[in-house]
Amino acid sequence: MTWQIHIPALLIALPLLGAFVAPVFVNRRLRDIWFTALSAVVLILAFLLWRRVGAEGTAIYVMGGESWDLTLPSGMSVPIRIIMEVDAFSAFMALSGSIASFAGAIFSLRFLDRTTGGEKFVALYFLLMTGMLGMETTGDLFNFFVFLEISSVASYGLIAFWRNRPEAIEASFKYMLLSTIAALMVLLGIGILYGRYGVLNMAAIAKAMQFGLPEKVALALFVAALAMKCGSVPMHMWVPDAYSQAPAGLACFLVSVSQASLYGLFRISFSVYGRALDTPAVAWIIIVFGILSMFIAVVMAVIQKEVKRLMAYHAVSQTGYMLLGVGVGLLALTHPQAMSEYGFTAMQGGIFHIINHAMYKGLLFLTAGSIFYASGTLDLNRLGGLARNMPYTTVMFVVSAAAIAGLPPVNGFVSKLLVYESSFAVHPILTVMALVTSILTLASFVKVFQSAFLGPARARFSEVREVPRSMLVGMTVLLVAILWLSFMPTWSLSKLVGPAAQALVDQAGYIEAIMRSGL
Amino acid sequence: MMLGTVQSGFGYWNVYAWIIFFALAAVLVFYFRSAGRSDYKAGTYQDEIFYGGNPVPKDGDEIAVPASSAYWGFTEALSPFYKLLLSLHTGIASDYMGYFVITMALVSVLIVL
Repeated sequence: MTWQIHIPALLIALPLLGAFVAPVFVNRRLRDIWFTALSAVVLILAFLLWRRVGAEGTAIYVMGGESWDLTLPSGMSVPIRIIMEVDAFSAFMALSGSIASFAGAIFSLRFLDRTTGGEKFVALYFLLMTGMLGMETTGDLFNFFVFLEISSVASYGLIAFWRNRPEAIEASFKYMLLSTIAALMVLLGIGILYGRYGVLNMAAIAKAMQFGLPEKVALALFVAALAMKCGSVPMHMWVPDAYSQAPAGLACFLVSVSQASLYGLFRISFSVYGRALDTPAVAWIIIVFGILSMFIAVVMAVIQKEVKRLMAYHAVSQTGYMLLGVGVGLLALTHPQAMSEYGFTAMQGGIFHIINHAMYKGLLFLTAGSIFYASGTLDLNRLGGLARNMPYTTVMFVVSAAAIAGLPPVNGFVSKLLVYESSFAVHPILTVMALVTSILTLASFVKVFQSAFLGPARARFSEVREVPRSMLVGMTVLLVAILWLSFMPTWSLSKLVGPAAQALVDQAGYIEAIMRSGL
Repeated sequence: MMLGTVQSGFGYWNVYAWIIFFALAAVLVFYFRSAGRSDYKAGTYQDEIFYGGNPVPKDGDEIAVPASSAYWGFTEALSPFYKLLLSLHTGIASDYMGYFVITMALVSVLIVL
């Protein structure tokens, strides 16, 4: 037994500690060290957990029990335990989110120097990290709700961080309103399942699952609420408001936090309901959400004139690829032949797109933050010629824009290719919509590149210089991740994406990991 | 599995083949560039922008096309569609909530029935 068995608990406990200790660090230097060091430790822990799960299989951790690996009630009259279940999909999500949070933290350091209350930002940032990692590692539905709420509450505060801007307060309020109702729907769904089965553990519910009317109602609540939380069209309108007002380092991280809701949607659909689903309706709902998100959001992005708002619409659009890929996988779940022919490829594409999107969209938000930090504006009508003054930011932008547009050989191309080819087997129109979306994505980022970086030098930007080194380091973290995923596609698919997709498909394995301990 | 080759089940794609392709293209570009005129002198009249015979404005703003003019033809051709989309994106919180409730109702009907 090594200390590494405690990583699932540490992954939540350390950011939580970070959140509560951060307000003490009024001194900027100490605050920066705390912010950077703890984010790095969380990233290392997420990496070790991913490696351990890859080598040894699903990790189980019981908090509040007699022992860390005893999932049985341990003689207490009311067994109060938190069972964490980290399979390859959970570990994949935690690793992806931790990379984005680390990059966002480093990038935010110099941003925070320009404002007061930086220690509060750090506290909320760590709280957001706790919520995201908790959602991705818990094996318990009620804990999932608790962590969802933790991440939501932290988001409200962080989106409204520039509290002197009415737009930021408004964006936070809108997100709070929608998010609270969605969370109540999730709680209602959990209540229905608890009323039916008397347990909250996902694996235990999955084992007993009968797809009757209450389960269908609960599933409808989960699907709609979590699709809203991940920004799916037509419930996406909070996303451009929130992302455009959030500080850039946070927007980079918020992409991964939204993906935790996507994780919840996939986890409940595959691992809790899975083979009990006797209707293709759920899969088609997810596919239609995907198609609508891809197309409507990218069309809206083309006409945006503010960089972060444009990028926020693209965040919605790219979520559509993930919904489409995994939706096609869900459609094939109960048909082994379809799963082997195209379903698993679609799931690989959708899941690969999750990490790709977290990296390149995170980097795009950071480049937007750099532009704002250096020039003081994000208005594309006012920007121009910045490539002369900001060469490193320009390179970062070009690579990440190529990735999001799916240009070969960058990583976005591989995941999109898998989604295109597999969704074609379901219906060619799905592929056509995905391809058109990709072309419009390229068009809108060409517009940003031409408007912000190219063109003649503007007199008002003659004093603009490249952003400070720490901001470049934050961006470089994501650039390295993008290049790694781009140039090591077979490694990425076999070590990172394939096991995650397999874990999601393998409902029996998810149940067995808990049940072998005799829940 | 061939190094860098992604099998999609319907075909394959190799990242290193693309990199080699880009490298060859770069070599060709540099070759053509090196074959250009050698009597070019930086900092002379040869550097000046030809602006229809008029003096070039000093501030780039005066000769730049604003971002809002980009893809004018595309947006104009789809203006009825954009009108509809923009009318849905009101920015009003109660509208956002309405879309959420309607979507939830639709999802419920589709799953339950």
